Amino acid sequence: MTRRTSVLSAITALLLAGAIQPALAQAPQSVAASAVAGSDAPPVATPSSYSATSLYNLGNSYARAGKPGLAVLNYERASLLAPSDPDIEANLRYVREGAHLPVEPRGRWQRVVTVGSPTLWSLLGVLGVLLLGCALLAGERYPAHRWKRRVAALVGFVLLGATAGNAVVLWPTLHAAVIVTAATPVQVSPVPMGDQLFTLPEGETVTITAEHEDFVLVQTATGRKGWVARVNLVAVVPKRS
Amino acid sequence: MNARFVQPVVIQRFWLVAFMATLALLASCWAASPALAEQQLTTASLDPQQIILGQSTTLTVTLTGSQPLQFNMPQVEGLEFGMLGQSHRVEIMNGAILTSTSLIIRVTPQTAGIFTIPGLTPQSQPLILRVSPDNGSGASGTARSSTVPGALLGTPNAEGIRMAADGAAFVKLVLPKRDVYVGESVPVEIEVGARDGFARPNGLPTLTSSEFTLNNLTRQPENYQKVIDGKPYTVFTWHSEIAAVKPGKFTLSLDVPFTVRIRTRPSRDSAIEDALGDPFLQNFFGATVQKDITVSSPSSDLAVLALPTEDQPKNFTGAVGQFSIASDVSATAAAAGDPLTLRLHVTGTGNFDRVDSPMLEHVDGWKTYPPKSSFKGSEATGKGEKTFEQPIIASKPGAQTLPGLDFSYFNPTTKHYETARSAPLQLSISPSLADSSLSAPQAPAPTAGPNKSPANPPPVGLRPDHATESDSVGTLVPLYARPLFLAIPALLALGFIGTWLALRRSAVSRGRSQYANSKAINRILQDLEAASRARDATLFFNIARSALTGSLAARWQLAAADVTLDEVDARLGNEGAEIREILALADEANYSGHEMTSTDFQRWIQIVRDQLTEAPPA
Repeated sequence: MTRRTSVLSAITALLLAGAIQPALAQAPQSVAASAVAGSDAPPVATPSSYSATSLYNLGNSYARAGKPGLAVLNYERASLLAPSDPDIEANLRYVREGAHLPVEPRGRWQRVVTVGSPTLWSLLGVLGVLLLGCALLAGERYPAHRWKRRVAALVGFVLLGATAGNAVVLWPTLHAAVIVTAATPVQVSPVPMGDQLFTLPEGETVTITAEHEDFVLVQTATGRKGWVARVNLVAVVPKRS
Repeated sequence: MNARFVQPVVIQRFWLVAFMATLALLASCWAASPALAEQQLTTASLDPQQIILGQSTTLTVTLTGSQPLQFNMPQVEGLEFGMLGQSHRVEIMNGAILTSTSLIIRVTPQTAGIFTIPGLTPQSQPLILRVSPDNGSGASGTARSSTVPGALLGTPNAEGIRMAADGAAFVKLVLPKRDVYVGESVPVEIEVGARDGFARPNGLPTLTSSEFTLNNLTRQPENYQKVIDGKPYTVFTWHSEIAAVKPGKFTLSLDVPFTVRIRTRPSRDSAIEDALGDPFLQNFFGATVQKDITVSSPSSDLAVLALPTEDQPKNFTGAVGQFSIASDVSATAAAAGDPLTLRLHVTGTGNFDRVDSPMLEHVDGWKTYPPKSSFKGSEATGKGEKTFEQPIIASKPGAQTLPGLDFSYFNPTTKHYETARSAPLQLSISPSLADSSLSAPQAPAPTAGPNKSPANPPPVGLRPDHATESDSVGTLVPLYARPLFLAIPALLALGFIGTWLALRRSAVSRGRSQYANSKAINRILQDLEAASRARDATLFFNIARSALTGSLAARWQLAAADVTLDEVDARLGNEGAEIREILALADEANYSGHEMTSTDFQRWIQIVRDQLTEAPPA
């Protein structure tokens, strides 16, 4: 019985080490052809690597250059890597207010689950799985340490829940895009001659819900839907080849 | 009969000959006409040959011949020629056809004098036209020609208006003062009157003196109707300013170009037209023609004083008038490096074209640029506001004070130089974005890391760049959204679950075995109890020996028959004394029928229970 458990633990440790290493140490890749999700004619090239500082400074540069769309895009990207940075949040709010875009303050729950970066929460989630598993096995192996097992299980559950919460909060951002051209027309159909429904201002953040050739179906914060040409928006999280 | 028939024949021959002769005559005339036409003759006459300035005379040019007219209008300085009409005339003289064309040309002198109209052909004689100046007794065309400068005729009336000699127009210049300073803007009022239907101004008034400047005049001045000496006039009024450019005593007047209608016939010949009064009717009867003249205003004497040189401020730029100033800045709070605009407002009355200010030139902590100016107001009246805007950039953070601005001008009312001063401006300059980002690592940041913003960020604007580079990642996709990373917790969970299941399964199997052993022990003990109650010692010990040998055989992995007393002694030693005693008593009971009390049975039952519990039966 003891040998079997040891073998399983060893296999788990090897798998953990082998999977984390490539996930964390991602070597810079070649510049992707498109920053837009599946776009062939992107307005912004995808860099080979990202850092919160460079994205934040890039957003500042675009903001000073009077390009709120690209400024918002880079601030959103920077906030993915450093969600608790007050400067990123302040400048993002400043640019949005300057562009007359709605600014929705983050709630308490959002602040809690975004206190750490998604990478940190990913690792903490794995730690939570480990604690839960160990507590489960210890209950079978060492019935005497009941309280210790319960505390470990509770901590693991909290970590796993917080990671899931972080994923839920950031999930819309992972599928969001920023309008980078002024008065972007939103059409009723994904064809060049489609009837126009309304226009979106530069810097507006929308959610991509579907794609069709050179158009993407977007949904605004107010629930309005329509097709937008890919060249008019840039995905916050670019797809990589 | 024959005579009756011969006579008609004679008559027919006569008419035939006459017809042929006529044809021959016409043919000869037609053949001879080109020769006559080639000899084109030109005659010219002037009627009358002596007129008064303002009148016109008629030049009649007669051309003979049928050739196309080739006539060039004569050019004489001081005379204007205008075609009135032409007539054709055909004469047959001695069988010859003579054609002639007469051109009627109106000749209007521009000035008095004797003019010579050269001969229109080399053989013709020149014509002499004598034009005498109007002495006031004749026609009313008394304005001087536009090409010939001269003094106005006529004398001012009771209203101070000196009418043009023909009474068609007048110009009036109203000056409020006669002593002015160089550069001082003097408001003037210009009135130009034109008799309705007889005159109209076709240009703006201009100064006759180059020592003065006149502000731009609008092309749409105020106008009203006025009756002067019983005749209706349209009076145009301009309100403007003049300024002297150099000191001295000068005479000032205005010239206004007019287009007027003047009479073409002497007054005695146009009594009927005059009686009609209506200029349209007069023009209809050919009594007037248009003419461009220039009307001047009465001269005004002005004494221009030089500006005093004593106590003249260094920053005096020539502004003369009455002014006040104020200054402001585009924002009182800004970051170092942000461009601001310093404004100086100069309001008042005077020569704003000479109002100038260098604004701020060298101020510590500030970078200044050349200012630009704009004027709002009326150049005609000299009232308005001139605003100077100077870009400035603060180079140091902190509380800054922009010094007050000075502006000096000459006040012609007090006849002294005066200097206006604006109040200093207080500004709050925060660190620049670039400085903040660069100085942030050295600055104490209790709540933020080295790459964070200062503790007191600017209230407005973007927060500064971060100087310290953070860790880079290859993709923005979070770890938990990557399939490769998701395999880690998935495998962990599977491993834990599998392990837990294995542990659970072993525990269950172990529990089942214990359960089976306990049931077998209970059954053995029940058999022993039954033998005890029956006081059957032989059965009791046989059951006990069978249970113990089976249990030991399972423990020692032996056959039950191999569990002998010797084996028990060898494996258990002293600890197997009770087992050995039970085995011995079982053999003895089989052969001797051992007698035991109930207490003995209970003791041996307890011993068997302990042995079976310690080593359950197989």
